[in-house]
Amino acid sequence: MSKINKNTTALSQSTIIKVFLNIILLITVFIVLYPIAFTIGAAFTRSNSLASTSIVPWPKEPSLYQFQRLLTPSDQIVSGTTNVRGTNYITWYKNTLKIAIMNTILTVILCTTTGYIFSRFKFGLKKPLMASMIVLQLFPSFIGMIATYVILWRINGLDTHWGLVLVYATGSIPYNSWLMKGYFDSMPRSIEEAARVDGASPLATYLRIIVPSARPQIVFLTLVSFTGPWMDFIFPRLVLRSDAKKTLAVGLFELINGRANDNFTMFAAGALLVAIPFAIIFIAGQKNMLLSLAGDGLKE
Amino acid sequence: MKSTKIDPKIIKKAPIASACFMGLGQIVYLKQYIRGAFFAFLEAVMLFFIVFDPKNLSFNFQGPVVKSLVGLITLGEEKRHLPVKLRDHSIFMMITGLIVLIICIIYISTYIFNIRDAKKSAERIVQKEKFPSMIETQKFLQEKAFPYFGILPIIILLAFFTIVPLLFSGLVAFTNYSSPDHIPPNNLVDWVGADNFVTMFSPTVGESSQANTWFGAFGRVALWTLVWAFFSTITCYFTGMFFSVILQDNRVQISKFYRIIFILPYAIPPMLTLFVWQNLLNGTFGPINRTLIELGLIAEPIRWLTDPKMARMTLIMVNIWIGFPYSMILTTSSMTAIPSQLYEAATIDGANKWYQFRSITLPLVLFQTLPLLIMQFAGNINNFGAVFFLTSGGPTLRDTISTQAGATDLLISWIYKLTYNTPNQYNLASVLSILVFIVMVPFAVFSFTRTKSFKEGEV
Repeated sequence: MSKINKNTTALSQSTIIKVFLNIILLITVFIVLYPIAFTIGAAFTRSNSLASTSIVPWPKEPSLYQFQRLLTPSDQIVSGTTNVRGTNYITWYKNTLKIAIMNTILTVILCTTTGYIFSRFKFGLKKPLMASMIVLQLFPSFIGMIATYVILWRINGLDTHWGLVLVYATGSIPYNSWLMKGYFDSMPRSIEEAARVDGASPLATYLRIIVPSARPQIVFLTLVSFTGPWMDFIFPRLVLRSDAKKTLAVGLFELINGRANDNFTMFAAGALLVAIPFAIIFIAGQKNMLLSLAGDGLKE
Repeated sequence: MKSTKIDPKIIKKAPIASACFMGLGQIVYLKQYIRGAFFAFLEAVMLFFIVFDPKNLSFNFQGPVVKSLVGLITLGEEKRHLPVKLRDHSIFMMITGLIVLIICIIYISTYIFNIRDAKKSAERIVQKEKFPSMIETQKFLQEKAFPYFGILPIIILLAFFTIVPLLFSGLVAFTNYSSPDHIPPNNLVDWVGADNFVTMFSPTVGESSQANTWFGAFGRVALWTLVWAFFSTITCYFTGMFFSVILQDNRVQISKFYRIIFILPYAIPPMLTLFVWQNLLNGTFGPINRTLIELGLIAEPIRWLTDPKMARMTLIMVNIWIGFPYSMILTTSSMTAIPSQLYEAATIDGANKWYQFRSITLPLVLFQTLPLLIMQFAGNINNFGAVFFLTSGGPTLRDTISTQAGATDLLISWIYKLTYNTPNQYNLASVLSILVFIVMVPFAVFSFTRTKSFKEGEV
């Protein structure tokens, strides 16, 4: 066998593989983008039904009508029509935002404090408490939803946002406290010990020294607990009864569930308005993870 | 104030006094008036609510504490003559009873703490041969109290919104709480022992040889839950790994572009994605079927979500779309940790890419990510969202009308349906919850033994 011959076969083989790999990747890109493109296309469609959407993800006559329908309050008639009412979408959005913010504040305060105490202090019942929290975090909290419902009823927390926030924050305590504990474990103790020797109380040390220096992890916890309630469905549906209190997840679910024929394109518009900011926050929150992914590009 | 001679006997006397009445030892022997008063106050409150009956305004040992605990056992009495509003509500009684039970447990631990505190304080006083000054005490309290006060809010929240609900759903499994005959306030709920477990798990109905529909549905759902958890985990993992390997191949030029695209499904809330897929796959109106028919690839619409077998396949496929980016990120970061010398040595030895993958990349990555894979499996057992938002557990089967379990229902979504839809079968939902609880225990133990705290012997 001549050397040249061998090289050309090797070369053509590698070209075939290269083309083959790129075809696979392009097909995957298509599969990944198709639902997204279709949703965007549907959101800008004038007609309401799923059946009327174009199979090519591009609306036949682009229109902002669905956004108009979505953003018009439910007690008003959509402009340009005679009898089509709007939705409570803006209210749902505000509610969800409010719940997410309340949940973030409560979770950050509770879990940072708990994580710090777990990491630095010794006290009675510490071990059983920490162990039971690991067990608790594995169970979907809605297993106990009847009791949660009755307890909220008893403390007048039904159909209120604070009631829902209490449920959320409690559900996230076990996991997030362990998360914060892990972070505090890795933090050097020298500065706080110096402060304690100088006579600062544990509370003052915690607030003035620990909290500021744990900022990166607190930012992470903030993002996680902010994004958490956005698309949760079970508890809002259980707790929030009136339309004015609903969250986006419940609102969108009721918009689409079994009614794809008159609402699909409006749902698509609503989904876009949630997914875009959500994806941005989410990617910001996962930046470290994603950066490590992008940065390794050429490593073999 | 000169300190008087310290009597070493207080080490014995103080705890005994505190055991007789909370705080007594602290006040009488240890000069800890504030702390003692606090403990004494707690005991007084507790005794008051045990003894005093606010309904009859009399001291007859029928206080709310006693009544609630009795209520937890009896679940109320039939009071047909009263209007519905005034009848005993078994479910309220059960939850109140549980809350009081937890308060009692906390109270008892406080009582024990109070005795130990008396002993410790007495020992300290004897050792130092004087009573601590006010400032010393204050400082000491500040040090000791910080963790307790810091932890108190989460204890209360966890007790009310996690422990009580979990205990409650455990207890309901032993009652007949179900519609239409046992829904308060019209009717009472009673303890029925293990009847519900028999209903759910016995292969035949009663003494007859007729097959039990509940058991049939349970077997099907349990099997599907396992099949689903296994395949959904494995498919996502290997799809993710496949792409992370391809994207690291130097024959692919714009890998960064591909990566950014492939991460998108991970960044969109899954609930929205699942709704969109549900509509894309709609049998008659869905664009996928319409496109395939238009292209002449199929003559009849494919029943993606309405044929039981097909729906299960579809569910796993859609789940790959949602889940593979995460596995891709995971395996990529694990691969970058493999030292490049290994590959260089392999190349010198003449190993080709496939061989390198099989004997270096795969075992190392698998070894490193196995724990996460196991936890993903556990998570998929309880993956309510994927099923509920794509198929709502459907399509229906022959026994769906009587048991509510559809072809793609997992245990967890079945529990939800039994709880939320009429006719509500809370008791059977609780039986399944207990089962899920038992299934999850090994995973909890596994994740527990993996924590750093456990390895270092801290917990």
